[in-house]
Parts: sequence; structure tokens; C-alpha cells
Amino acid sequence: MNGCGDIRDQLAFYLDDELSDLDRVRFEEHVRSCHSCSDAITGERSFLELLRSDGRGDSVPRSVRSRVEGVLQTATEAERAPADLRRRVEHLVGVPRSVPAWRRFAVASMAVSLALLALAFAWRTSAPEAVGPSEFAVMSVATHQRHQRGSLPLEIETGSPEAVKNWFGDKVPFLLELPTYQEVSGQDRLYGIGGARLVAYRGDYAAFVAYEMSARPISLIVTSTTLAPPSGGQIVVARGLTFHFDVVDGLRVITWSHRGLTYALVSDLEERGEDSCKVCHAGAPEQDFLVELRVDRITGFSGLQEP
Amino acid sequence: MTQGQIDREFAAAALDHLDALYGYATALTRDRMAAEDLVQETYLRAVRAFGRLLPDSNLKGWLFAIMRNVWLNQQRHDRTGPAFIELDAEDDDRWRFLESGGASPLAELEQSETRVRVRAAIESLPPAFREIVILRDIEGFSYQQIATIIGCPAGTVMSRLGRARDRLRLLLVDRRQGVAT
Ligand SMILES: [Zn+2]
Repeated sequence: MNGCGDIRDQLAFYLDDELSDLDRVRFEEHVRSCHSCSDAITGERSFLELLRSDGRGDSVPRSVRSRVEGVLQTATEAERAPADLRRRVEHLVGVPRSVPAWRRFAVASMAVSLALLALAFAWRTSAPEAVGPSEFAVMSVATHQRHQRGSLPLEIETGSPEAVKNWFGDKVPFLLELPTYQEVSGQDRLYGIGGARLVAYRGDYAAFVAYEMSARPISLIVTSTTLAPPSGGQIVVARGLTFHFDVVDGLRVITWSHRGLTYALVSDLEERGEDSCKVCHAGAPEQDFLVELRVDRITGFSGLQEP
Repeated sequence: MTQGQIDREFAAAALDHLDALYGYATALTRDRMAAEDLVQETYLRAVRAFGRLLPDSNLKGWLFAIMRNVWLNQQRHDRTGPAFIELDAEDDDRWRFLESGGASPLAELEQSETRVRVRAAIESLPPAFREIVILRDIEGFSYQQIATIIGCPAGTVMSRLGRARDRLRLLLVDRRQGVAT
């Protein structure tokens, strides 16, 4: 039925286990009675085995293995955060939806927005197994306290994020993007900016921005990740950012890193169930605010196991 | 089963494919530093996209697809062109053998020589051929899995694989008879 030519055409498919059951039965029938094709199979099989056994490259260097283990370890540690906190943050960042182009801002400012809202109603008391806060988190809390005591007066007082950004322009070696959603949309203010100043950190400057939210003070402190790698606390990974939640001196501090900068948000905000619901279910504009948090979203896997 | 257990399982399972991914990264980039960075970036992306991995998915194929996607994006963004720095000589088996002070038996020398030759032959292939040989003959993916990873029809996989093997056969089969068992 099958000639030698057909068999040779199917040889690679046979050895790669890509023949249908029927074709494989016919193939094997022919080969049992044909020495020439049988020899061809033997030769090709040993060639493929040679590739398989000797074609493999070197094992991964130990240093790379350590780096990858670190990546996976961090991701596993994220699971140490209480399920409730994680669920709330995940709820906050929500399912991405399309957003009009005019509403797009710098990614960093989205993270600030997320953290502001997370501060407002995603907080839970510290879990017993949480690691202590980072030095930067402690410094940020101290900065917040000193500002509240009046020992760190603002160097610029303004309600405009743009003005703050420009003021820092020639004072810190990075561009500080701040959330401007409320200014753009004209909706009711969830939080407002008060002003800013420079603060010292590890022989360099950090940017300090004073906010208030529901008449309570919030501090944002920003410096380079080289100076202040975020660590410790309860870890929540959301939208590609790793947030570290800590409590220091009764104040709440969230730190995270993005594009070479480390951010800390300090607040004494209490969780108030009713207000949380109000904020959370404020409606579509609030959701739009959050869906901009699509940091470094992975695209291009449409052909692969996507729900 | 809690989410934490799933994640630890994922971490352990993902780590099992590290060497394979490094091999693929080396084949794609042909640059040791770039390959190392590509491996790390692939795991970062995988961790972030973990929630999108369905329970019965092929983890290895998914990781390979992420790696290829990351690499493609890097190619697009880095229009200065890929660097073609040769791998360090100390990674070469010949050097490893010499360092062992000549204590290896003849069989090991032959084994080592075969390995060097097979790897050199694969290295010499054009990128698209090299990739398909790594995916099928080294890593054992099916035609359909390869088609998914590299984003082309299964028919293209078959024809490309056939041509890649033809080249390798020319380079390896005749010469091999001297040392083959
Ligand atoms: Zn025959």
C-alpha cells in the first residue's frame, strides 16, 4: 500500500511522534518488511539522538540561578501578606479597561494613586510574621512626624502637582511625576496637595510632598532606588509593582520601587468601613483612575493559554 | 489548597526549566550577558503573569513563549542591533577538558569532541534554524507547541525543521563516523 517514497516522506513525522494512529500503524507495517526503510529509520534516529544528547548548551551560571531564585522567592513571599489585604489590593487595581488617551499619565503617578487609595482603605493590622520596615520607610515616617510638628516647613506651598514637579526640576536628579487625575477630571477631590520640600537622605536629597486626604496628612517621599531599595513589611504584588506595607510609630507606610525611584507614602489614616465603601464604589471615574495602573503589562500572548 | 501552596509549586516547577530557558536564551541572543538578563526578565514576567496561567497549561511552553516575546520586544526597542559577542572560551568543553590535566580517558575525549562538534554545528545555523532545532531536538516540544511559541503555522515549523536538520546532517553525519560508537 505505502511505497518507500511515502515512508521516507513520513520519516521525520514518525520519529517526532507526529503521525496519526492510522498512519503510524501503516508506517510500521511497511518498515517491518522493508530493510531499506528500516535502516533509514535507524540512521535518522541515531542522528536525532546525537543532537539530543550532545546539542544541549551549558547549565545556567550559578549567579543567574541565584537571581532567578530571588525573583521567585519575592513572588512567594508576597503570599505572606494576609489574604484579606491581598484581595483588597487586587480589587483596587481591578480589571484593566480602555481609557481615553487624554487621561493617560506617567506610570509612576498611577502607582502613587494606587497607594493613596490603598492607604485609605486597604489597610489591615500587621501580620505577626511580617519582617521589619526598611530604613527608608523609617526615615519617611520620621519626616512625616517632623513635618507635622512644624520642624520641616514646606519650601513651596501650592495645590498644583505641576508646580511641585517643576519646583523639583532643578533640585533632584529625577523627574517627579505626580497624579493629576482630579485636576484633569474636575471630580470631587479625594485628596489634595499642600506643597513640597527637600529632605536629606543618606548624603543626598529626597523629595518630600505633603498631601491631605479627608483632612488628614499624607506624606510622599521619593528618592533613588539605589539609595533606598524597598524591603520588609507585608508584601503585596499588584500590577507588576511590589508594595511593602509597614506600621512605624503607629503610622502607616507603603514603600515601592518603580523605574529607578523608590516611593514611600506615610499616613495615619484609619480605616473607616463606611467611607471605604463610598470610595470604593464611587463609580466609573474611580475605576478609570485605577485601571491606569497597568504597569508593564504583558501583551502578545493571545495564542497561548489566555482565558 | 491555598494560594500560597500553588505559588510555591509554581516557583519550584518554574525553576525546573531554568537550564532549558538559559539554553534557549543563549540561542536567541548569542550573547552571554544578554542571555542571563533575558532569563531573569523571563522569570519576572512569568511571576507577574502567573495569574493568567490556566491550571492545565504547559508551563514549559508558556515560559518559552514569554522568553521569545521578551526577546522580540527587546529587538524592536533596541534598533542598534543585537550584539554578537562570542561566548567565553572557558564555557567551552575543550577548555574544561584541558583543565582536568589530561586525566580523562579516551572515551571522554571522544565524547567531548563530539559534543563540541554538535554544538558548533547548531551554533553555525541561521537564527531561525537554530531556534527550531533547540525547541524540537533539544527541548522536545511538539510541532504545534513550537508553532505557538514562535507564532507561526505548524507547517512552517515542519519545513523549517526539515531544512535545519538537512544542514546539520551535512555537517555531522559523515564526519561523525570516525568517532561514533
Ligand atoms: Zn521501504
